[in-house]
Amino acid sequence: MMINQKISENLLEIRDLSIDFNTDEGLVRAVDNLSLSIRPGEVMGLVGESGSGKSITAKSIMQLAPGNAIIQHPSQITLNHREQAVNVLKLRGRDLRLVRGNAVSMIFQEPMASFAPAIRISDQIIQTMQIHLGYDKDQARRAGIELFDRVGIVDPAKRFDQYVFELSGGMRQRAMIAMALSTQPKLLIADEPTTALDVTIQAQVLDLMMELREQLGMAMLFITHDLGVVSKIADNVTVMQQGKVVEAGMADQVLFQPEHAYTRRLLDALPNLDNLPQAPAKTPAPLLSVTDLSISYPTMGSGRQREVYTAVKNINLDLPEGQIIGLVGESGSGKTSLGKAMLGAAPISSGTVEYHHTKKKVKFGATKAIKRKRLARTAQLVFQDPYSSLNPRMTVRDIIAEPLEAMKLTKSREETDQRVIEVARLCHIEVEHLRRFPHAFSGGQRQRISIARALVCKPKFIVADESVAALDVSIQAEILKLLKQLRDELGLTIMFISHDLSVIANLCDWVCVMKEGELVEQGTVRQIFLDPQQGYTQQLIAAIPLLHSPKGRQQRLPDLLQMAEYSANTVEQRLA
Amino acid sequence: MNALLARFGRKAKPEQNEESYYTAGQLALIKARFKQKTSGIVAAWILGTLVLMGFFAPFFSPVDPTINGADGEYRRGEPQVVFFWDKEGFSLRPFSYSYQKTTSKIDLKALAGGGLDALDALTSSGALSSSSQNKFTVDKTERRYLQLFVQGWEYSLIDLSVGGLDLDIRWDRHLFGVDKGQLHLMGTDEDGKDIFSRTLHAIWVTISIAIVALVVKLIASLFVGGVSGYFGGRVDTILMSITEAVRVIPPIPIYLACAVALSQIDLTPVQRYFAIAVVIGALDFATLGRRLRTHILTERNQDYVLAAQLCGSSTWRIIWRHLIPSFTSYIIVDTLINFPYVILAETSLSFLGLGLTEPVNSLGVLLQKAQDPDIQQNMIWQFFPVLVFVVLIMAFVFVGDALRDAADPYSEKK
Amino acid sequence: MIIQFFSDTWLLWILLSIGGLLWWRGRDNQYFHYVFNRYWLALATLLLVSGIVFSLMEVLPGDCAEKYIAYKNTQGETITQADIQAERVRMGLDKSLPERWGRWVTNLTLRGDLGFSCAKRQSVNLALGDRFWMSFMFCMAGLLFAYLIAVPFGIFSAFTINKPWKDKNPQHSQVEQWIGTVMLSGQKVLDLLLRVISYLGLALPNFLLALTIILLYVFAGEPMPTGLFSDQWASVPWFGPNGFEMEKLYDFLGHIWLPIFVIGWSATALQLQTVRALVVDESSKLYVDAARARGVDGVALWAGYPVRHSISPLFNSIGFDFQRVFNDLPIVAVVIGLTDSAALLIEALSMTNDQELAAGILFLVALVVISMNFITDVVLAAIDPRVRKSVLGS
Repeated sequence: MMINQKISENLLEIRDLSIDFNTDEGLVRAVDNLSLSIRPGEVMGLVGESGSGKSITAKSIMQLAPGNAIIQHPSQITLNHREQAVNVLKLRGRDLRLVRGNAVSMIFQEPMASFAPAIRISDQIIQTMQIHLGYDKDQARRAGIELFDRVGIVDPAKRFDQYVFELSGGMRQRAMIAMALSTQPKLLIADEPTTALDVTIQAQVLDLMMELREQLGMAMLFITHDLGVVSKIADNVTVMQQGKVVEAGMADQVLFQPEHAYTRRLLDALPNLDNLPQAPAKTPAPLLSVTDLSISYPTMGSGRQREVYTAVKNINLDLPEGQIIGLVGESGSGKTSLGKAMLGAAPISSGTVEYHHTKKKVKFGATKAIKRKRLARTAQLVFQDPYSSLNPRMTVRDIIAEPLEAMKLTKSREETDQRVIEVARLCHIEVEHLRRFPHAFSGGQRQRISIARALVCKPKFIVADESVAALDVSIQAEILKLLKQLRDELGLTIMFISHDLSVIANLCDWVCVMKEGELVEQGTVRQIFLDPQQGYTQQLIAAIPLLHSPKGRQQRLPDLLQMAEYSANTVEQRLA
Repeated sequence: MNALLARFGRKAKPEQNEESYYTAGQLALIKARFKQKTSGIVAAWILGTLVLMGFFAPFFSPVDPTINGADGEYRRGEPQVVFFWDKEGFSLRPFSYSYQKTTSKIDLKALAGGGLDALDALTSSGALSSSSQNKFTVDKTERRYLQLFVQGWEYSLIDLSVGGLDLDIRWDRHLFGVDKGQLHLMGTDEDGKDIFSRTLHAIWVTISIAIVALVVKLIASLFVGGVSGYFGGRVDTILMSITEAVRVIPPIPIYLACAVALSQIDLTPVQRYFAIAVVIGALDFATLGRRLRTHILTERNQDYVLAAQLCGSSTWRIIWRHLIPSFTSYIIVDTLINFPYVILAETSLSFLGLGLTEPVNSLGVLLQKAQDPDIQQNMIWQFFPVLVFVVLIMAFVFVGDALRDAADPYSEKK
Repeated sequence: MIIQFFSDTWLLWILLSIGGLLWWRGRDNQYFHYVFNRYWLALATLLLVSGIVFSLMEVLPGDCAEKYIAYKNTQGETITQADIQAERVRMGLDKSLPERWGRWVTNLTLRGDLGFSCAKRQSVNLALGDRFWMSFMFCMAGLLFAYLIAVPFGIFSAFTINKPWKDKNPQHSQVEQWIGTVMLSGQKVLDLLLRVISYLGLALPNFLLALTIILLYVFAGEPMPTGLFSDQWASVPWFGPNGFEMEKLYDFLGHIWLPIFVIGWSATALQLQTVRALVVDESSKLYVDAARARGVDGVALWAGYPVRHSISPLFNSIGFDFQRVFNDLPIVAVVIGLTDSAALLIEALSMTNDQELAAGILFLVALVVISMNFITDVVLAAIDPRVRKSVLGS
């Protein structure tokens, strides 16, 4: 164990951290000269988009960086532990346990994947306690169940012995938190812990983490891309862009007086409820009407035992032409099924979808099969996943030209190319990139390709299914801008499906809220966000991580250190 | 220093390379990954050399491997060593010697005399035992110099007349040979046929059987997997229960039964050869067929297929443009990995005398000879085909291994 | 009368009662419902297999009547074509293929009767005796041998894959880098060596391997380890006047290792590849990193996480592994001079054209494979939560 003479008051100090990735194309800098320090009991928000190097920074604190990551000289990560300063990067063998699980523990983005699937949660937690605290099995078990109780898991004794897939999403993340806390760490690293969760559950988990932090007084390195979440939880904020720190400081300062343009861009992406778009004076005529639509899927079982899962129940909806309609709901609310049904891609069990204002009338339902070719020229889909929705074996040109070629809309190859180039320009895709394959592009660029493909046959209506959910905030903003531009220039009607209320608030003219297959509420953006009528909508709106006002935050800061000592003692008493 | 190096490494990456990476198709990506596997590269080179030598076997072999080229004077002969120098000095051109058969001096007169002693002497001298039949004396005075591009028997370099084309390039030059007599690098067999040349010819015969078998297998698997995966429902259930049933029966006994049945029919060697390849391939559809079905089922639910459907693509267009390309790389890798198993099946049949038989040159036929105790004890050089066989299979397995590791380009998202 | 009836149909009653029991238990129990489904699926597959095997054997030349008459011919009777035809009718060979198959299957399901071998002129069950069990034991021992080698080496191989040859970590001191490089390249070389050795088992055909080993014995002047016993022990009973004959056991072990070694080695290559792929796959998952982050390391990490999660799929493939090993056994049996069912199979197929015997043996192999698949499915559904979730729902 390397011991430095000087002991600083910081719990964790990262100095000049530089990390390179050894890739096929040579060394690629992932983190460049990053310095950061965390005091005991402090919550540090590390904000950045994908590829900014925030996750690898967190992993290198635990020496968990993948094999092709090279931590260059003169990087230094120092951890103050039991009055000693330990250089984490030099730890070897068993000494590593000091940072792995003992003084530091970590929560990952996907709770499902971070528990071993074939081992009971209890065994994994007990193992951790046995390694670090030297508990015997019964002791560890009792402490574990108590922890489960503490992180708000109902019926902790039963849940403790279950497998991870038997828990719901929110429960899994709670169990993960319990696991991380089981060794009473001084520092908790949370890598996007709430990103995969629904808004309401995200709010609950964040509340839980705040509560625990105040009780236990541990320091936290909270990694996220969402400044709203950061403002709720962090004392200090570090903003990273492409491996470099662009701005760092007190949370209030960074969030309310940002200096760097990048921070400002991130902040702009947050919903601003004071500045919602005005609804048009009168509602335009509907482009398409959904009448009494229900969608059901057969589930497990066969023959007589076959059960039916109804994803969408009796929905009536008119979509006004030339507007962006937001469809909001949490996972499992049936919003994607509804979107696909409008395109004839989901099994309709009853009800109809009718397009007005097309040359020939298109109406289909459970009994009437649709003529896909006729519909394909009118309505198109932009997918959620920019990776799986583009065939990796086709060039961008071929992907965009697919509808033209499949439906033989153009007469010659030149005409096709011309149209493809036209659309590519419209979507800001460089013409030289058309002969590349999708693997050459980032998520945002892929989504542009996906949009270009949807637009190439000049449809009137586009369903965008969570189309920006996989993208970074700043990229999201660009795509949203593009969608608005398309609405204004081409008069497109866009149905934008999302779970993310902040995106909806920034983009849409009209909002529909869905819950468990039913349409709960609809109205203009202002109506929904400022004056929600239904209980569920109110709950959703309240859960949006908005920027918190500076006042509420400052009260918390001064007595943090005292609290840390106090709660460390109480934990030991409770667990002993 | 390291930081400097890192920067250098980044700068050194030429722009052009980047563009070629971006415009590289899936196979090119696999190739790029494959190139990083040292053992795979080495194996690929060995494999390539062997296959090339096998394909142009007549050119690379110094002696005609058929009975026409058999060296009556040098039956059961040892490998002839190639030297650069001897007592008489160094020669830049490698040479070999001429060999003379020692005629065993059987004292017939003594035998005629009825002396039992003479008979005893004869047997104890070993003149009658098989091991002395291949005693040759080396005539060190007569050097045979190695020549490049020597003229020899005429052969067809590329013969496409089988495929209906009237193209048959004939040639009579061989890569190397000796100026006088024949050179037997790996010795000869009982008939005086050159082992080295036979082995080279056998490589291509064996590989071509494997290719035919694998093509047949591919067609059968594609049919079963494609129909099952695309139509689903009852067709899928029926086809999959049949494949499941075929999968549990050990294949070699079935090949055997078919080979026995084939042996009842009067076939020319070429017909027999194709019949065996077809049997091996056609009965091996179960595993690949199942995998293709699963592949189609998963691939069918990918977003990009739905995207194509929503674009108005017809079923055939989706199959042709999206589904089939999606598993070409998989099929290529799987085929390469299966090469050794098909070759082994062929050799197993030949070993039991039910596959190809003498005088056809196939590795199975040559391997079968290795079980002869006479060869094991007196003509150890006839194990040369075994060595080539082992190297060939190992090369296939290592290439297959490296390819398998390289062929999963979607494991990491770029 | 009743006893006669039951002794003629005993197997059917067993099959039915097992099925009935499973059905009864499965009415309100999801697990037994699954087992019941698997059970009748296995039976259906077996039926299909019997059909395939039975019709495949039709390709073998000759039929029972011809063989029987040919046998009589050697006894000095003169035979005409009419006699053969009459014999055919007597044996029911003039009936159509489905009819004959139906009769065969009926006898099989009623009392486990595999039919009558004309070449051997006795019932297939009798001709086989315990020889099938002998083959079964060979295969299982060979498999065990293959697993014993492939599992640790496969894990080791997975451990070294994607590791560099050189330690270039700038956080390591010069000495540490040097030691690290030696360790890494040592591991890589060892891995390569192990792979070469195990792939050699594949590349050296079984018969050649067996031959080479026998040849080595010949060169060394030792008696060849062919068959199961040396001549002197073959007829000695296991329990002699002096109690258990240890000498016979030693002799037996001195012979038995050869077939096991030969078929085991050739099965190793595939197993090694499988184990390696499985472990590599598991070890790249997030939960391994998560376990590392909790301080689990070393053997506890590897054995407890990636390896533990690779066991089920490996166990699941045991049925087909058995099939693959049995596939190799006949030729080895011929070379080594074994007298088990694999050797009988070769004899029946390539020499005596004994359709009934060959069909019987192939059916038994399929039976073993299907039973193993059934057992592994059922066991895994009981013990592996992942499998349970996928087959039973939540």
